Amino acid sequence: MSDELVQIETPFAFNEENQREFDELIGRYPIKEAAMLPTLHLAQKQAGYITPAVMKYVAEQLEVTVMKVKDVVTFYPMFFEEPVGEYVIRICHTLPCALRDCKVVLEHLKTKLNTDVASETNLAKGTTVDGKFTLMKVECLASCDVAPVIMVNDDLYKNLTPEKVDEILAKLTS
Amino acid sequence: MVEERRILYEHLDVPDINTFDVFRQYDGYARFEKAIAEYQPDDISKMVMDAGLKGRGGAGFSTGLKWSFVPKDIEPRYLCCNADESEPGTFSNRYVLEKNPHLLIEGILICCYAMGIETTYVYIRGEFTLGKKMLDAAIKEAYENGYLGKDIRGTGLNVDIYSHPGAGAYICGEETGLIESLEGKRGQPRNKPPFPAVEGVFSKPTVVQNVETLCNLPFIVGNGVEWYTKMGPTYADTRSDPPTPDPNTGTKLYCISGDVNEPGVYELELGLTCSELIEVAGGLRGKEVKAVIPGGSSAPILTHYELDTRLDFTSLTLAKSMLGSGGIIVMNETRNIVDCLLNIMKFYAHESCGQCTPCRWGTPWVRDIVQRIADGNGRKDTITRPKFGVAENGRWGDTGETEEIYEDLDLLESVANNIANVDTMTWNTICVFGIAVSWPAVSYLRKFRPEFEATIREGKLVTLPIAEATVPPEENYAYQQRFVPKEFADLEQPSEE
Ligand SMILES: Cc1cc2nc3c(=O)[nH]c(=O)nc-3n(C[C@H](O)[C@H](O)[C@H](O)COP(=O)(O)O)c2cc1C
Ligand code: SF4
Ligand code: FES
Repeated sequence: MSDELVQIETPFAFNEENQREFDELIGRYPIKEAAMLPTLHLAQKQAGYITPAVMKYVAEQLEVTVMKVKDVVTFYPMFFEEPVGEYVIRICHTLPCALRDCKVVLEHLKTKLNTDVASETNLAKGTTVDGKFTLMKVECLASCDVAPVIMVNDDLYKNLTPEKVDEILAKLTS
Repeated sequence: MVEERRILYEHLDVPDINTFDVFRQYDGYARFEKAIAEYQPDDISKMVMDAGLKGRGGAGFSTGLKWSFVPKDIEPRYLCCNADESEPGTFSNRYVLEKNPHLLIEGILICCYAMGIETTYVYIRGEFTLGKKMLDAAIKEAYENGYLGKDIRGTGLNVDIYSHPGAGAYICGEETGLIESLEGKRGQPRNKPPFPAVEGVFSKPTVVQNVETLCNLPFIVGNGVEWYTKMGPTYADTRSDPPTPDPNTGTKLYCISGDVNEPGVYELELGLTCSELIEVAGGLRGKEVKAVIPGGSSAPILTHYELDTRLDFTSLTLAKSMLGSGGIIVMNETRNIVDCLLNIMKFYAHESCGQCTPCRWGTPWVRDIVQRIADGNGRKDTITRPKFGVAENGRWGDTGETEEIYEDLDLLESVANNIANVDTMTWNTICVFGIAVSWPAVSYLRKFRPEFEATIREGKLVTLPIAEATVPPEENYAYQQRFVPKEFADLEQPSEE
């Protein structure tokens, strides 16, 4: 990644609270690089998604190359390299949820939000025009007993039906 | 009916059991105190070995044996607790983390004491935000109360526990993938050997253990080996002379989902049968059981002929399947096996880490073949070829009959078996993810071949009645071992007092 590219982005640095958390994190491991995943989670929480500037900053903090950070970011589905909606809706579509009709819930979400499902390389495809929601399919969320399930940001919603989806969306948009 | 036997989950629903004070009221940390007061570290290892504890994360490897491989002269050593729980159909670790995190901490403490370990990382899958929050809070409390940190309870024992979040990759559940991920890299599994016990995280000896395995430790120490081994069957492995005991002791947190009335986690002694478990889970939702996946999506499928199979490590291995993570997925008569396989293959094609060519290319290839079949475009050879077999004259040769060739089915089996061969149990890949792909692919195909054939023939998804869809065990060599268990011919249960 050339320096020129990086400079177009607004530079990134941890705010005070996250800096404190980062300092604590780094002490947990014998090598700095091991703090990579928690650091990226922290940075994503602050910046919304992983921009080139974030990668550069994280690389500096952990004393590794930017390429190494990029390498990690591209491997894990939970790190976004594009902007996402305020609420990220993850719908599980693996077998136990499929046996409990997750398809109905998915179709309902698609019509209600009037959007397609995001793909890993095209998050915009699943993001609503107003930038409020991003809809994506994920694999088993380890809640198959209460299938079908969705996660909205950090919260899990269980035993979903189209009616329950309506309630959830109404609460989020109000 | 089989009764639930709640040990690990006994106090799960006690209000505020996630707090230190309430946990203390229910024997919390007393078992750890007993361990440090009454036993030497080696005694604990011996107890775990004698108890016959097998890993609950997937491989079912003897925990005591794993501990014995750890070199005691290399410092520091690490413990990694595997809380990545991503195997489809598995959800028991989640409840431990969310509701009773102190139990896990106590288990970790006992393991650390036995192995002389000072640092533990709990690798929690990224989506478990609540679980991580609860565990972090419990860890904080344990530090405040002097059960973690330096010089615990004045014994000179130092233990630190850190939680470490994953980021949505299934393969980080594989122990060496977990280690790579913990080191801040892509979670791509390593070649073994060296095994993690010898050279793991930060190139130091590392014990990797599932949440449930660790949660068993307080009860083994607290109630004793004799009490523990009374739960679950111990078989006699007659491959050696004299026969060696093959323990399937303890309870299992069976996770049951799919077509049952009350899906959930049921803690039961190992060794109940598949149909008994379905009964416990409120019975079947539907008319008849068509198929059961006994150990997470990686496990070969069981047909309705096999519902009397006992759900323990040994019995399922003999049935050419596995207990795996204990995630049981039930399917009723309305389910289409081709469709189910497609769902699972999409999962694996998405989750391959991409290091090994057979897995990186083979898995999407398998998915595409199944997709093609499900879409109604499965390839069938229109020419019929002579069927070879034992002819009328008693010799091998042309039987005079003809058979249709389902090209895509042969291709499916061949591609899957070239990722990992399920008959010889050899794999062309770095990790056993390869087996996790070909096991379902080949077993679904062999056991439900008529449904695949009908789907290709009709050009659309066809769900056959169970009796027609299933290949009877006698005709299917995938079942062979179950009916000719040569090495285990005299497999017996010792009398239970
Ligand atoms: C593809 C793959 C995924 C796995 N996922 C998990 C998992 O999510 N949780 C787990 O505990 N073990 C998982 N395992 C098993 C681990 O490799 C390892 O055997 C286990 O953590 C050891 O702990 P145990 O002996 O206590 O079971 C997985 C294995 C493979 C091959
Ligand atoms: S078998 Fe698949 S998942 Fe395992 S290391 Fe190879 S490519 Fe990765
Ligand atoms: S399959 Fe959806 S939570 Fe497990």
